[in-house]
Amino acid sequence: MFDYHALLPEFILGATLLVVLGVDLLVAPRRRWLAGAAGIVGLLAAGVPLLTLAGVGGTREMFAGSYVVDDFALVVKGLFLVAGAIVLLASMSYLRGDRYYEGEYYFLILASIAGAVVMASARDLITMFIGLELVSAPAFLLAGWRKGDLRSNEASLKFFLIGVLSSAVLLFGMSLVYGTTGESTFTRIAGATAAVSGESAFVLGVLFTLVGFGFKIAAVPFHFWAPDTYQGAPLPVAAYLSVGSKGAGVVGLLTICYSAFAGARDVWGPALWVLAALTMTVGNLTALRQSNVVRLLGYSSVAHAGFILVPFAMAAAFEGPALEEAFFGSLTYLLVYAFMNLGAFAAVIAIAERTGSREIDDWAGLARYSPTLATLLGVFFFSLAGIPPLAGWFAKFVMFKAVLGDPGNAWGVSLAVIAAVNAVIALFFYARVLKAAFMDPAPESLPEGAPLSRPLAAALVITLAVTLAAGFYPQLLAFFGEAARGLALP
Amino acid sequence: MAEYFQDYITVAVFAGFGALLVAAAVGVGWLLRPSRPSAAKATAYECGIDPVGGGWSQTHIRYYIFALLFLIFDVEAAFIFPWAVRLEQLGLFALVEMVIFIVILLAGLVYAIRKGVLKWES
Amino acid sequence: MTVTAGWYLALAAVLFVVGASGLLLRRNALVMFMSVEIMLNAANLSFVAAGRQLGVLDGQAAVFFVMVVAAAEVVVGLAIIVTVFRRRATASVDDLAGLKG
Repeated sequence: MFDYHALLPEFILGATLLVVLGVDLLVAPRRRWLAGAAGIVGLLAAGVPLLTLAGVGGTREMFAGSYVVDDFALVVKGLFLVAGAIVLLASMSYLRGDRYYEGEYYFLILASIAGAVVMASARDLITMFIGLELVSAPAFLLAGWRKGDLRSNEASLKFFLIGVLSSAVLLFGMSLVYGTTGESTFTRIAGATAAVSGESAFVLGVLFTLVGFGFKIAAVPFHFWAPDTYQGAPLPVAAYLSVGSKGAGVVGLLTICYSAFAGARDVWGPALWVLAALTMTVGNLTALRQSNVVRLLGYSSVAHAGFILVPFAMAAAFEGPALEEAFFGSLTYLLVYAFMNLGAFAAVIAIAERTGSREIDDWAGLARYSPTLATLLGVFFFSLAGIPPLAGWFAKFVMFKAVLGDPGNAWGVSLAVIAAVNAVIALFFYARVLKAAFMDPAPESLPEGAPLSRPLAAALVITLAVTLAAGFYPQLLAFFGEAARGLALP
Repeated sequence: MAEYFQDYITVAVFAGFGALLVAAAVGVGWLLRPSRPSAAKATAYECGIDPVGGGWSQTHIRYYIFALLFLIFDVEAAFIFPWAVRLEQLGLFALVEMVIFIVILLAGLVYAIRKGVLKWES
Repeated sequence: MTVTAGWYLALAAVLFVVGASGLLLRRNALVMFMSVEIMLNAANLSFVAAGRQLGVLDGQAAVFFVMVVAAAEVVVGLAIIVTVFRRRATASVDDLAGLKG
C-alpha cells in the first residue's frame, strides 16, 4: 500500500522545503542565494527517482487508487521539476537587485512545485483539490512579493480573489460529482457515470469543475485576472504562473476529463470546444494592442492555453487512435510551450534589466547595442509564433494533426481553421516586438543596464537548447508525449 | 414531519418563556427605578476608573499576525483528533507519521519564532 | 418524516448562490473573501450530506481537508488584504485599478 520508491520524489521535495527554510534561518542575508541553490539541487535530486521509476516501468497505485504513478505522471512531474529549476535560476539575479525576502521566495516556489508534482499523480477528487491548492496558495503570495509596490499588491489581491473563487466553484462541482456518483476515485467515477449521465446535478458538477479549471488555466472568459497579475507580479513569478500554475491546471483538466469524466464526453467536449475557440481568438486579438511586453506575454499565454485545449476539445468526438492522438497533442504542446515560454520570459527579464523598461517602444534598436539578447528574444518569440524549425512549430504541427484526426468531422475542421487564423494573428504581435528590437533606430543615449547574471544566462541556455533541439529533432519531446499516452486509453 | 416539528415546539416554548422572563425583569426595573441622569453616569464603564480615549480604537497589526499563526496551528488539530481516536488500531506506522507531521509543524513554529513574528515590540 | 439529503443539497446550492452573489455585488475585499468562504462551506455541506446519504465516511473526511485548505487560504488572504490596507487605508477593490489593458 505504501510504495516508498514511487513516493520518493515527493519525499525529497518535502525534505528540500525544510532544508530551504533552515538555510534561510541560518545563513547571513548576503548569502541567502544558497537557499535557492539548495532548492535547485533538491529539484534535480527529486528527478532521480523519476528516472529509476521510468526504468522499472509499470503503473503503481497507492491509497486505493487515489494516487497513481504511471508514465504520464512521471513525464509531467519531470516537466514541473525542470520548469521549477529554470524559474529559480531566472529569479536569482532578479531577487538580488532588490531588498526581497529571498529565502521565503525560494520556499514558496518550491512549495508550489510540490503541489504540481502531487497533482500529476492525483486520481481522486480531494487529492486533486489539495494539490491544486498547494500550487495556488504560495502563488498568491508570490504575486504580491513586492510589498511596497501598489501594482504588486493589486496583482496579488486580484489573483487571490479569483483564485479562491475558482477553488470554490471547482470544489462545489466536485461535491456534486461525488454526490451523484457516490465515488471520489476517478476510475470508479468513470464506472458509475453511465447510471447518472442524464442527471442535471451530475452535468452541473462536470461543468462547474470545468469552470474551476478554466480560471486556473486562464481560459476566456475566465482569463481577465491573468494579464493584470502577470504585469503586477515580479517577472520571474509571472514566468512561473504562466508555466507552472497554468501547467498544473492543464494537467488536472486532462486527468479529470480523460479518466473521471470519460463517460461524460458529450458534456465536456462541446464546452471545451467553445472555450478553446474563444480563448485563442480573444487572447490573440487583445495581445495585438498591447504596448507592454509583459502584458503581451500575458495575453499570449492566454492564447496558448487555447491552443492546448484545441486537440483536447475534439477528443470528445474521437475514438481509439484519434483519441490517443488528441491526448498526445495537448500534452506535447504543453511540454514545448513550457520551455519556449520560460525562455521568452527569461529573455524579457534579461532585456528589462538591460534597458530598464518593459515597454516595446523603449526596446527600439536593441539589436544594435545588445545583439545576443535581441537574437534570443527573436528565437523564443518566433518559436511561440510557431515558425519552423523552432520547437513551437512542432507543437502546432501535432496540434493540427490531432484535431484533423477525423477529416470528416466538421467541428474538428472548423476548429482547425480558427486555430490557423489565430496562428497568423499571433505572428503579427510577436513580430511587432521584434521589429522594434531589430529595425527601429536605437536611442541617442543607450540605457545603462546591469550585465547578464550567470544564473539567468544558465536559464537562457537551457531553454534555448530545448527550443532548438525540439525544433530540429521533434522526436526528443515527442518521445515523452508518446510515453504518456497510457492515460488516454479508456 | 409532524414528529420532527414537535421537537422544535419544545424549543420554541423554552425560547418564548425565556424572552418573557427577560422582558418582565427589565420592564419591572424600568417602572420602579428613579431616573436622575448625570454626565458621569453617561460615560463608558471601564472597571470603575475614568475611561481613556474613544470607544473606537485601532487594533495593532500584531494581533492579526498572532491570529494568523494561531489559526494555522489550531486547524491542524483537526487532523490529530481522528488520529488519536483510532491510534490503537492503526499502530506504530500511524504514530511515526504523526510524529513527522508534528515535527514539520514545529519546524514552522521555530521558523516563525526565529523570524521574530512572536516578538511584541518591533 | 425526516429531512432527506436532497434538502441539504438544496441548502448547499442556496448557500453557494448567496456566496457567489456576495462576491459579485460587494466591493470590500474582506466581505468578498467572506463570500468565498460561504461558497466553500456550501461545498462542504454538500460533501457531508452526500457522504451521509451514501453511508460512507469519504464525504466527511473530505471536509476535514477542505477546512484545512480554507484555513490556509484565510491566512494567505488576510495577509494580502492587510498588506493592501496598510498601503492604501481602504479595502475597496474599486480603488485598485492601476492595472488595465
